[in-house]
Amino acid sequence: MKKSEFHRADEKRFLDERGSSGSLAPNGLNPATIMEKAVRERIVDCYFYKEQCFGVNEADIVDRVVEHVDFIGGVYGTVQKPTPFICLAFKLLQLAPSDAILDEYLRFGGEKFKYLRVLTAFYIRLTRQDKDVYQWLEPLLEDKRKLKRKGRAGTTLTYVDVFIDDLLTKDRVCATSLWKMRKRDILEDLEMLEPRVSPLGNIEDLLEEEEDDEVKKEGGDDSDGSVRSKTPDSGLDSNHDKIDVDGMGESRSSRSRSRSRSRSRSRSP
Amino acid sequence: MSNNKGSAYGQAASDTDFRKTYDLDEYAAKAKEREAAEKEERKARWEAKMAGKKYYKPLDGSETLTTARNATQDFSRMVGTSTLVPAGAGVGKRGRGAGFYCEACDLTFKDNLQWIEHTNSMQHQRSIGQTGEVRKATAADVHARIVALWERQQEREREQVVSLKERLEVRAEEEEKEREEKRKKRKEAEERRRLEKETALKVKTEYGEDVRVEGEHDEDDMMAAMGFTGFGTTTKK
Repeated sequence: MKKSEFHRADEKRFLDERGSSGSLAPNGLNPATIMEKAVRERIVDCYFYKEQCFGVNEADIVDRVVEHVDFIGGVYGTVQKPTPFICLAFKLLQLAPSDAILDEYLRFGGEKFKYLRVLTAFYIRLTRQDKDVYQWLEPLLEDKRKLKRKGRAGTTLTYVDVFIDDLLTKDRVCATSLWKMRKRDILEDLEMLEPRVSPLGNIEDLLEEEEDDEVKKEGGDDSDGSVRSKTPDSGLDSNHDKIDVDGMGESRSSRSRSRSRSRSRSRSP
Repeated sequence: MSNNKGSAYGQAASDTDFRKTYDLDEYAAKAKEREAAEKEERKARWEAKMAGKKYYKPLDGSETLTTARNATQDFSRMVGTSTLVPAGAGVGKRGRGAGFYCEACDLTFKDNLQWIEHTNSMQHQRSIGQTGEVRKATAADVHARIVALWERQQEREREQVVSLKERLEVRAEEEEKEREEKRKKRKEAEERRRLEKETALKVKTEYGEDVRVEGEHDEDDMMAAMGFTGFGTTTKK
C-alpha cells in the first residue's frame, strides 16, 4: 500500500481500523486504543475536539497548541471534561507525525512554546520505543518552566521537568495508562543506551560534598553567629540538591545498587 | 374547410394551434439521459450498500482539500439579533428555520453541537465541494509555522506594551472631548433660555395698537394679560 500524502479530516476511519489495517505505532501498539475507551469517547464527543481538531494537519497542531492549550491534564471538573491537551494528543495519535516533525516540535518549537514541548513528550511516551523515549525525553529534564495542571481535584502548579519525570517513572499520567517500558538499567545492560550523565554532575562527588557540608555544619555550630547564620543556607542548598538528585535518580532508574546503598549510608547519620 | 375559406392572417389555424408544440425528440433524449444517470446512481448506491459502505456523490475532480478552521465559531455574536423565519418552518431539519442554517445543504440545526457535527460530516464536505482530506505537512512546514506563530506572538506583546500607553492617551483625549461637548451644550441651552425670555418680554411690550391687525394677537394679548406667554411650547414664536 503506497503511503498517502493526505490525512482524513475526521477521526472515523482512524477509530474504525481497530488495528486490523491501520498502521501501528513504532512501539507496536495500535494508536487508536492507546488511550482508554472512556477518555477516547469523551474526547470524540467534546465540542473542542469537534470544532478545533477537524481537518488539522501537523502544522495546524502548533496553531491549536498556541491558541488553546494553557494547561495540561487528562479530564477535569466533575463532568470530567477532556482538556484541549488530551484532545490534541489524541489528534496526534491519528496524524502519527514523523520523527523529523517531532524533532521540530520538541526542540525548535519546544524552546518557544512549553506546552508544545510537553504535548510532544507525552505523545512520544505513548508511541515510541523505550530506548527512543529515554533518548528523546531525558534532555528535557533540564527545562524548568512552569506548567498549569488541571485534574479532577483542581488546578495545581507543576514544572516541565517534573512532568517529564512523571512520564518516565509513573504508569498513569493525564488520564492515560502509559505502557510499561523497560527500566533504564536493563536497557543499559543490553547496551541499547549509554549510562546517563546528570547535568548536576557525578552523583558520588555530590554526595561527598554533601558529607563535607554536614561535617562543616557540625563544626560550625560552636563557633560565632556569623558562621551559624551562613550554615542553614548551605544546609538548605544541599537539601535542595539532594531532592533534585533523588528525582533524577528515580527518573533514570539507572543507579546501581551500590550507589543507592552509598546514598542511604550518607543520609543515615 | 377553413383552408378553403382562407384566414385573415394568411395561414389557417386549427383548433389547438394555440398550444405550445413540444420537440418530442429532445425531451425523449433528456429523459433517457436522466434515467441513465439515475440508474447509475442507484447502482452505485447498491454497490456501496453491498460493500457495507455509505454512499456519497462521486467526486468530479473540482473538489478542494479540506483545511482546518482558522477561527472559532462565535455563536454569541448572534445574541440579541432576530431573524425572520418562514411560517411553515419549525419541524425537522429540512429547509430554513429557526436555528443555525446551512446554506450548502439546506438544513437547519437547533444547537451548536449538532451544527458542528454537521459541518464535519461527509455530506456537508461534499456539498461544499471538499474532499474531506487534508494534506500532510512536512517538517519544513511545521518549522515555518512555528516561526510565524512566534513572530506573531512577539508582535502582539510589543503591540500591547505600546498600545497601553496609547490607549491611556486616547482615553484622556476622549474624556476631554466629552467634557468640552457637555460644556458647549450647557452654554447653548442657557443662551437659548435667555433668548426665549427676552423674546417673551418683547412680545409683551412691543406691540402697540397701531401695528395690530384686527384679531391677530388676541390670544397673545389675553395670555399676556393673564401672566403667561404660551402653552408650554417654545417653538410658537
